[in-house]
Amino acid sequence: MKKITDERLVLQNLKNIRIAYIIQTVGILGILGYDLVTKGLDGMRENPLWLVFLIATIISAYLSMSISADHESNKIHPQKNLTISLVVLILISIVVGFFVSLTDGFTIINGVIMGSILFICGLIPIVYIYNLRKKRQDDNEE
Amino acid sequence: MENKVKIARTQVNLTQQQLAEKIGVTRQTISLIEKGKYNPTLKLCLDICYAVNRTLDEVFWVERENS
Repeated sequence: MKKITDERLVLQNLKNIRIAYIIQTVGILGILGYDLVTKGLDGMRENPLWLVFLIATIISAYLSMSISADHESNKIHPQKNLTISLVVLILISIVVGFFVSLTDGFTIINGVIMGSILFICGLIPIVYIYNLRKKRQDDNEE
Repeated sequence: MENKVKIARTQVNLTQQQLAEKIGVTRQTISLIEKGKYNPTLKLCLDICYAVNRTLDEVFWVERENS
């Protein structure tokens, strides 16, 4: 098969892939929805499609971050934003960890672990978007 | 987008197929550009201009419409 060099066809191809992706997502959601109704939430999560759907959604969210970083106004300072996000994340982690350790059947260790898991999970996208903003700022200064 | 690709192409005695082969696209794309139904990238515009020995201005420039 010859490689397509025609830019119009390349673009058309991307649009076709997008349609296929939409149909695929609707199909996955349909199957998961059916599982949710017939087998309940745990039954739905046992389906490997749930993992596929989750990973695809996370990847799509990360990819759209680079778009929103370009889209937002240039006045925001990446460092300032990073600090605000980190403070909020630390507060949320501490509060959640605190309440988990208060809950019956959970120890303080559980609370600490829960808080740190939450912190790490939140830290990754914050650092990622900080790097995107930093990179964009560097591009602007050139 | 209106343009003068068709005029420029006939002046250098090229068919749509020949022009398409020269710049590595399909004939349909050339046809759509001539009809103004496809908006080519700047790169493709330049390739067309090189193929018909014209400048971008001569082939693609249109006066701004007074609305």
